[in-house]
Amino acid sequence: MKIGILSKRNKMFAAKIKQFLESEGHVVELYTLENLNINQSLLNNDFYIMKSKHMFFLYAGYFLDTHNIPVIPNVNLSYKHKNRIESHYLIKQAGLLGPSTYMGMVDVLKTKLKKTDYPFIQKPLMGSGSRGVRFITSSDDLKSTDGGPIYLEKFIQGIHYLSYFIDNKVCVYEKLPLVNEHARVKAIEMTQDLIDITLRWKNFYSMLFGHLDIVRDENTNKLHVVDPGSFPEFSNWNCSVEPEKEVCRLILNEYSKQLRIK
Amino acid sequence: MITLGLIIDEYHLEKKVEEFMKYMRGRAKINLYVEERYLLDFSNTTFEEDIFIVKAKGDLVINFAKLIDRETQIPIINSPTSIWLCYNRFLNSTLLRKIGVRVPEFSLNPIRKDPPFENYIVKNIRDQRNYAFNPLIKEKKGKITVSDKRALLEAQGGQENYQYLYYQQFIRSKWEYKVYCIGDELFFYKQIPVLIDPDKMKSREEIKEIPELSEIALKAIKAVGLKIASLDFLQSENGDFYLTDINSSPNFNYIQNGPKLIGDYLIRMAKA
Repeated sequence: MKIGILSKRNKMFAAKIKQFLESEGHVVELYTLENLNINQSLLNNDFYIMKSKHMFFLYAGYFLDTHNIPVIPNVNLSYKHKNRIESHYLIKQAGLLGPSTYMGMVDVLKTKLKKTDYPFIQKPLMGSGSRGVRFITSSDDLKSTDGGPIYLEKFIQGIHYLSYFIDNKVCVYEKLPLVNEHARVKAIEMTQDLIDITLRWKNFYSMLFGHLDIVRDENTNKLHVVDPGSFPEFSNWNCSVEPEKEVCRLILNEYSKQLRIK
Repeated sequence: MITLGLIIDEYHLEKKVEEFMKYMRGRAKINLYVEERYLLDFSNTTFEEDIFIVKAKGDLVINFAKLIDRETQIPIINSPTSIWLCYNRFLNSTLLRKIGVRVPEFSLNPIRKDPPFENYIVKNIRDQRNYAFNPLIKEKKGKITVSDKRALLEAQGGQENYQYLYYQQFIRSKWEYKVYCIGDELFFYKQIPVLIDPDKMKSREEIKEIPELSEIALKAIKAVGLKIASLDFLQSENGDFYLTDINSSPNFNYIQNGPKLIGDYLIRMAKA
C-alpha cells in the first residue's frame, strides 16, 4: 500500500513507524512542513497517518477526508485534541473532570480575577503538551504574546500522571507538573481508577492509542484530565508491547475496517 | 420584548452596528458581550437571552459562541462552526467543492512552492482579523498574480509566521457579484471588482435576482451552516460563476434597510 505520514518531524516516532511499515512492504512517504503541498497531489496515497496536529496537517487531513482518503487517527478528533476549548468539551462529554477554564484580555483578567483565584496555568489556545505553557501565580505574570485574549486553566495541586494507552494496554507514570511527555517519569503501581479513567476516554472516543495528563487533586483525591493527546511519541512507554509495531498494527487494522465499511 | 445577546468586538461596535442598535431600541433588550471587556468563564452557562447574534470573529468571540452552542438551547446566529469555516479559507473551499459549488482552483503551499495553476491571487489563510484587502498586482506576459499584503506579512514573520500561502486561481471578471443572505431571503448587487476599483461602493448597484446565484448561495450557506452571510462571485469569460469568498459577518449597512431586515429576522428567530 501507499501510505502518507503527516508529521512535523522526520525523526523519532514518525521515523520508526515509517521504517516498520516499509519493512512490511508498504511504500511510505513522510510529509513535513518542508514538502507538504495541500492539493490534488496528496490524493495518490491509499491512506494517511496523522502523526502531528499542526494547523497545516489538520488542513491536509480535512482535505483528504473530503476526498474520501482515510486519515488515521480521525482528523476532527485530532483537531479537538489540539484546541484547548474543544478538549475541555471532550473531557466534559466523556463524563470526566477537567480544570476550570477562562479566557479574556490581560487587563480584564487582571481586574476580574481575585487574588484567591490564583494560581493558573496559561496555555496557548491551539497547542498540546507543554509548549508555551506558563505557571501564573499572580496577575503580574499574565502576558499576551499577540495582544489578544489568553486562555487560563485553574492549577490543580496534586500528583501529576502521564497515562499512555495502546489498544487496551494502559501504562501510567508519575511526572512533574508542566513538563512534556519526554521528561523523566517515575514508575508507579497503577491504581484501578487511573486505568478506568484512561480506558473510559479511549472507549468513549473509539481511540486506538493516545495519552492523558491526569492530576489527582490533593484535597479531594479526585482525578482530573488536564491534557489529552491523540498521538504521543511514547518516549516513556516501558510496558510489554513495542509501541511502534502495535501502533502500526492498529492503524493497518483500522484502515482495513474502514475499507470494509466503504 | 425579546432579549438579544450581541457578541461583538470594539471595532464592530464602534463602526458597524450603530444603525442596528438604533432600530432595535424599543424592540429588544440588548446585552452586549464585547471581546475586549468580557471574562469568559466556561463554568458559567446561565444566560437570560432569547437569541444571540455574533458580529465579530476573534478567538474569544468564537469560543463564547461555542459555549452558548454547546451548553444552552439558545439560538445563536451564526453558529461558531460556520464562522470558523468561513474564516478558514482552505476549509470552506474544500467543503464547497465537495458539495458541487464551483470555487476557483486553490492550493496551500510552503512559500517556495508555486501552485499548480498560473494566474492566481494570494490570500490570507485565515481571514479572522479586522483589516481591509490590500492587493499587490503583477501582470507579466499575460499572466497575473495578485498578493494580499497581509497574507505575505502573516506568512513570512508576522504574528502567525507559518511560512505557507493560500493560492486561489485568478478569475478575470467584468463584475463582482455580491449576494447578501438573511435566512432564505437574498439580495443581489454587482460592482466593479475591487482589484480594478478599490472603492467598491462607487460602482455598486442593486440588481435583479440571478437564479443561478440564488441556487448556489442557498446551497453554500446550508452546507456551511450560515443564517446570515454575504457571498462574493466572479464570472469567467465563458459565463461560469465562481464563489470566491463567503463571509459570516457582512456589513448590512450596505443594503437598503439592512439593520431593519436583520433586526426583524432576529426577533422572528427568537420567537420561533
